[in-house]
Amino acid sequence: MASASQLASSLNPSASPELVKRAELSEIDASTKLPALFFFGSAILWLLAGTVFALLAAFKMHNPGFLGDFEWLTFGRVRTAHLNAVIYGWSVNASFGVAFWLMARLSRAELRHSGMLLIAAAFWNVGVTLGIYGILTGDSTSIEWLEFPSYATPLLFFAYALVGAWTVITFRFGRSKHIYVSQWYILAALFWFPWLYSVAQIMLIFSPARGTVQSLVNWWFAHNVLGLWFTPIGLGAVYYFLPKVLGKPIHSYYLSVLGFWSLAIFYNWAGVHHLIGGPVPVWVQTAGITASFMMVIPVIVTAVNHHLTMVGNSSALKYSPTLRFTVFGAVAYTFTSLQGSSMSIRSWSELTHFTHYTIGHSHAGMYAFFTMVMFGSIYYILPRILLKEWPSAKLISLHFWACALGIIFMVLVLSFAGVKQGIDMNSLPIGADGKPGAPAPFLEIVKNTIPWLKLRSYSGILLTIGHLAFAVNFVWMLLKPRPAGATAPTLFRNGPELEVSR
Amino acid sequence: MSDWFFYLIAFPIAALFVASAIYGLQWASKNGQLRDLEEGAKVIFDEEEPVGRPTDQILRQPKAGVTAPTER
Repeated sequence: MASASQLASSLNPSASPELVKRAELSEIDASTKLPALFFFGSAILWLLAGTVFALLAAFKMHNPGFLGDFEWLTFGRVRTAHLNAVIYGWSVNASFGVAFWLMARLSRAELRHSGMLLIAAAFWNVGVTLGIYGILTGDSTSIEWLEFPSYATPLLFFAYALVGAWTVITFRFGRSKHIYVSQWYILAALFWFPWLYSVAQIMLIFSPARGTVQSLVNWWFAHNVLGLWFTPIGLGAVYYFLPKVLGKPIHSYYLSVLGFWSLAIFYNWAGVHHLIGGPVPVWVQTAGITASFMMVIPVIVTAVNHHLTMVGNSSALKYSPTLRFTVFGAVAYTFTSLQGSSMSIRSWSELTHFTHYTIGHSHAGMYAFFTMVMFGSIYYILPRILLKEWPSAKLISLHFWACALGIIFMVLVLSFAGVKQGIDMNSLPIGADGKPGAPAPFLEIVKNTIPWLKLRSYSGILLTIGHLAFAVNFVWMLLKPRPAGATAPTLFRNGPELEVSR
Repeated sequence: MSDWFFYLIAFPIAALFVASAIYGLQWASKNGQLRDLEEGAKVIFDEEEPVGRPTDQILRQPKAGVTAPTER
């Protein structure tokens, strides 16, 4: 292990100019291999665990007695375990892997001291495991998106610090004069997240704020994890993989820069839209609604940009798994964001808040957008770090179609269920005497949602099939031997006239 | 109760965040990041993976002779 001063100088680009060179793509990819594998492998394990928790929670909603004798599996715990497993387990692990791989590539700099990232991955995953265990055994803090008990969170802090620091160091060693838009997104996400998490921990758990201020902090935090962590990472990935797969630059780079800065300005105000009609001052709610509508600007700008880049090249969707997942995710991003803006209209919120509609929306965002983009990213990255092809194109197709259809079905089902719930809860049926009567009894409205919840469970089974196909392909790929003499992924062989010679 | 945290720490740091955003935009402008935006879009390509060559085709190999997507 290098001495402290050697270590310090190797982390500072101006102290070691001989280390700073424009690295080959294959060298860059190779330097990220072990941490990327650790993060992606853990992510996939958490995806499977989160899917199991999801199925349990989904079944219990229309069949409450299912596995009802197990304390660990009561709905309140298993649903919370699902949320945390897919957010902090699957989504953040995948984010870390994609973030530092993209940063290394875009900075044209090898990842240094990647062993430290392995330590980060270990700490993160131990922290998440401890947190999920805590939730299942009853130690949940019951604050949405912050349910991990406090014995787990310091581990997460430490791991995050390592990942953030190493990504920034890689950026500093960068030999690219221009900072690509994806780098802006990733650096911004790494910068914003620690503040969000710290403030939420302090103002909600360690030194709780007064009364309803807690709800404001809670939703400022949770919504900003979506908008200032997951959205930038997802968009950063789309802005790289979309043009990279097509071999065609982004249509209007100016629009992408505009999109980044308008997101940075508007997104963080929007969290209050979770509290419309709630016990917080009306002016705060109005600020949140306004910001939610201003978000239409970056969303439309991004959508136009992606669309104009893709137009004329949709045949590439037949050949590239990354493109399929990424384009699906990008379209879902536009849809979900516009849906989100519409949900912040007070009269719409009155109808669908606290119904299944909201859950449909959240899955559209975290799954149809973010998760599908992460799938696409992993399909691109893994062959380049392992120097092997994905073993089974059929499994990839199965993964894509099962998940695409599954999530579309889920979002539709939950949206219909939610709107119906909202209408039933808010409407006063006209009685036989022509005067408005009482609304339908609450329990009856609940029972009316059961057929929809069963359909949602079927969609969950579809998603599970897709995830299993992905996991099987991943393990198979890890285990299969690398072809002798491989120095680059073989999947660039488009045809003899396009052969890349090394 | 935690008002001190808000007034002494959270609010000043939030102001610092706004300042950092302004700084970031100003730095980008001074550093030339906002000029030559069309060139900026091409930094993800190089001699190894040039503009015009798709880089990921493992489902249903395209037939030989299929040309790369046209650049606009």
